[in-house]
Amino acid sequence: MKPARIGALAVGFVMLALVAVLVVSDGDTDVGARSPLLGQPAPAIETTTIDDQPFTLARRKGSWVVFNFFNSTCVPCIAEHPSLVKFAEGERARPGGAEFYTVVNDDADAAIRDFFVANGGDWSKLRDTDGAIAVAFGVAKVPETWIIDPNGFVRLRILGAVTDGVLEAQMARLREGANS
Amino acid sequence: MTTASRRMSLTPAARRIAWAVVLVATLVLLVFGAGRNTGPLTQQERIDVITKRIACPTCDGESVFVSRASAAQAIRAEVARQVGDGVKTDDEIVAYVADRFGGQVLLVPRGSGIEALVWVLPVVLAVVLVGVLIVLFRRGNRGNRGNRGIDGEGGGPISASTGTTDGAPANRRPLVITLAIALVVGIGVGVLVARQSGQRLPLQTATGGIEDSTASLLAQARLAGPTDVKSAIDLYGRVLETDPDNVEALTYRAWLIMLSARQFDESLRTQAYASTITALGRAIELDPAYPDAMCFLGIVVFRDGGDAASASEFLDKCIARQPPAEVRGLVESLRAEVDAALGK
Repeated sequence: MKPARIGALAVGFVMLALVAVLVVSDGDTDVGARSPLLGQPAPAIETTTIDDQPFTLARRKGSWVVFNFFNSTCVPCIAEHPSLVKFAEGERARPGGAEFYTVVNDDADAAIRDFFVANGGDWSKLRDTDGAIAVAFGVAKVPETWIIDPNGFVRLRILGAVTDGVLEAQMARLREGANS
Repeated sequence: MTTASRRMSLTPAARRIAWAVVLVATLVLLVFGAGRNTGPLTQQERIDVITKRIACPTCDGESVFVSRASAAQAIRAEVARQVGDGVKTDDEIVAYVADRFGGQVLLVPRGSGIEALVWVLPVVLAVVLVGVLIVLFRRGNRGNRGNRGIDGEGGGPISASTGTTDGAPANRRPLVITLAIALVVGIGVGVLVARQSGQRLPLQTATGGIEDSTASLLAQARLAGPTDVKSAIDLYGRVLETDPDNVEALTYRAWLIMLSARQFDESLRTQAYASTITALGRAIELDPAYPDAMCFLGIVVFRDGGDAASASEFLDKCIARQPPAEVRGLVESLRAEVDAALGK
């Protein structure tokens, strides 16, 4: 075999390999981000709120649960806050509405209290003092929003800030899927 | 050939022996490397070893061991907690973190899947290159011998382009065969290297299925609950075999047994009622703050026991415990009936 032909074959092989990689990899065009936890039982979470009330995720089975990982100094967290307030109010008003929780990420209780007093949002804020909840969900940067269904399965992960209507649309889609 | 080059050249037999020695030495080193045991580590040493294998998910090129980022600190705390528990092996702890953050946090790539190409491709390339070099050198040697033949002993004519004798297209065959063998050997050795050196994560399943833990049994039971009550009761029963004080399993098994018994005769319903009340009472005793057990107790006491006064008390306590939406819906729909029975 001529060296030129071998070279051409090698280039062809590499190109095929690249095409194969592109074919098998998923595009990130959806709102939801990938996570090995999607479709799996949610991690066992046991903590307290910043008001020292106990919280156990397993006790919330039967409700849709939304976790928003938050830090009061994070700019996208601050930017998405009005959308979260609207979403939480909407869910509270509807029968069987989702329960919304803030998971405090690397922040002080006092800073969180001050932020919510100034910006609204009277839902529970969960402590994650040593980052165990963030590690359990694989959260490296905030904000992140996770939705867990009434059976305790993780259904959606959203990376970064959400805008008005995004969470409402995703909840509607998930509820529809659960009822079908 | 000069005297020096003649001294450097080896006979074919000696060359084979040299290759065999190299092969054996490589195999011995591989086996030694695979089987080496560094001895017991302290907890802190284990934490250090594990965190050096994990990349900080928010930094560039730093391990969790060296990074001071909050995400790295959280992972380090989790690793320390799991090492302290003493249940999981190092590989299992690394697998836990990789399972949460994805394979990109593994500083040593996996030895399986597409990441194994990191291990396999360099080996394949190296072996193929060595094979090609061997073939080219041998051709060169033959060419030299052929040239000497023209000059001295009257050998056949030599092709200018390939250095092989004309009219012998079969001479291409050794290159192709060598390349094929080198490719196969390279892939084989590459896979071995990947298996030996790549990250092995014991918790990961090939199918991505959920592990057979209490959490997954409870999750499966909840999924089965509405449509397949018998399976759900069995699954909750399996949880109670290993964890007799599991409040969720106690509560929901009792609740589903009572719901099922309603279609049977009086004696079965009476038996189911008694066992349900006992199980719900046990669940409340174990975890007085658990709303679901209190709510189901109120529903069962009213629907199956006909005791509106006790039911009303239990339902009040249930609502005070902030039950999840599904259970709250059941209780709220019953509330009016209970109040009517009490003449409110």
